Amino acid sequence: MGTEKKKVLIVDDEIEIVDFLSRFLQRLGVTAIKASSGEEALRKYNEAHPDSIFLDIQMPDKDGLTILKEIKKIDTAVKVIMITGKDDKELQAKAKKYGALDYITKPLDLSELSAKINDYIL
Amino acid sequence: MKPEYHKKLQIAARQTILIHRADTLIRIILRTIVTSLKVKHAGIFIYDKVKDEYVVKVSRGHAGLRVPAGFAKIRKGSPLVRYFTDKSINLPKEHILWSKILSRIKYCKTKKDVKIRRFLEALKFEFSLYGAKACIPGFFRKDLVGILFLGEKRNKKSFGEEELRFLSVLASDVVMALKNAWLIEDLNRQIDINKRLLFQTVAALASSIEAKDKYTIGHTERVANYCLAIAYALKKREKIEGWEKFLENLKIAALFHDIGKIGIPESILNKEVALNEEEKKIIQSHPLIGANILNHIEEFREALEGVKYHHEKHDGSGYPYHLKGRKIPLIASIIALADTFDAMITDRPYRRGMSQDKAIEEIRKVKGIQFAPHVVDAFLKIYHSKGKLLELNKQISRHLLFSKENTF
Repeated sequence: MGTEKKKVLIVDDEIEIVDFLSRFLQRLGVTAIKASSGEEALRKYNEAHPDSIFLDIQMPDKDGLTILKEIKKIDTAVKVIMITGKDDKELQAKAKKYGALDYITKPLDLSELSAKINDYIL
Repeated sequence: MKPEYHKKLQIAARQTILIHRADTLIRIILRTIVTSLKVKHAGIFIYDKVKDEYVVKVSRGHAGLRVPAGFAKIRKGSPLVRYFTDKSINLPKEHILWSKILSRIKYCKTKKDVKIRRFLEALKFEFSLYGAKACIPGFFRKDLVGILFLGEKRNKKSFGEEELRFLSVLASDVVMALKNAWLIEDLNRQIDINKRLLFQTVAALASSIEAKDKYTIGHTERVANYCLAIAYALKKREKIEGWEKFLENLKIAALFHDIGKIGIPESILNKEVALNEEEKKIIQSHPLIGANILNHIEEFREALEGVKYHHEKHDGSGYPYHLKGRKIPLIASIIALADTFDAMITDRPYRRGMSQDKAIEEIRKVKGIQFAPHVVDAFLKIYHSKGKLLELNKQISRHLLFSKENTF
């Protein structure tokens, strides 16, 4: 494990969720970078080069799958975890195809989320 | 002197009785808790019957600390739920305090404490995920309906006995509000199901006449749609007593208006040449036959009037009672117009249907003679604003009969 803190980008158009998740991650010793739109997500990604990304699948300006594809074009190694409000098998398959590591559906079990952060990020 | 929050909490509690919407009440209670107890955040897990889990439905407090509504859930097997529901966990059930979890863990020293210690560690972990310092359960009888969770106080002090007692009172108020809301939801759902069933049964029965009289295929449904359109247009111009009920009766009456034709011989119904006097008399008995059929159903008494009088004419020259003007119930006047209009524009074995424009012209000519003037006016209004009624009929189609929301 490196000495430098891991960086995670959190993308969701609901700012309340971005705030909560970043606080949640900070407590686990991760540097959280916030973005509340698709455009902002791409910009912050290029600035900070995070190790992993929590990515909301439905956003008004750019949908999560498009962002996923664009980011994966830049860096295939970045770990992307999709977050969505609906349990849609088709979307799930698409996300996996485009290289997402996992797909979690709201409402989420925070203890499971914490386990996933341990597995994927830390 | 009693602290100010007591009063506020009591007010919030009393609002249970006044506010029927459970979510509004819960929001008020949470706001009261956050501002009066000065906690950094608070939220409530509410049991979701469909998913069989507890979801954070409402939350309040600092951004970043409050758990966004709809974002997180706990399962039935989670330590927090088990603490309150599992009888084998022999700890006080009225609330859980973070500080108590820590001190209890310290007490677990002997080997036989391993199990409870492990449980308490898991509970502590769950508390930390939600930033909770206190949890208060909401029970309805034996069922855990919700769990209130509170973050740290802004002054970092612990919760007092009195505060915790009040929180328990509030939790049980939340439960009552939820139970009432769920009861009403269930009831409304049941009413909706019954209503749907009623209209589908009516539609099925009404279509039985179509098996016998080829001309009525589609006719009943179209007439019902025109009737609803006319009723909505009328409502914009005049007050209609007991609107909701009126509309329901109109739907039923419109669907049943020709049901009496079941009692008319097929040879007369489907005759391709003009009827003689005797045959005319027989066919003119269908409104009464229909009324007699519906007479068996008490709920349909008012709808029955629409069936019985739908061949009466404004000037008294209709049948069977030669009623005049306002003596003809509105429900029947509407059906009479819709029925005639559809008959005019539909092809018959012995003649082609006329164009809609021509039919409208004919109707305008007999306004105040055959039809009630205000009903004709409402009808013309729709025709002019919505364009051809036949197209309109295609658009509104069958679902109009069953939906609550009509957009005329």
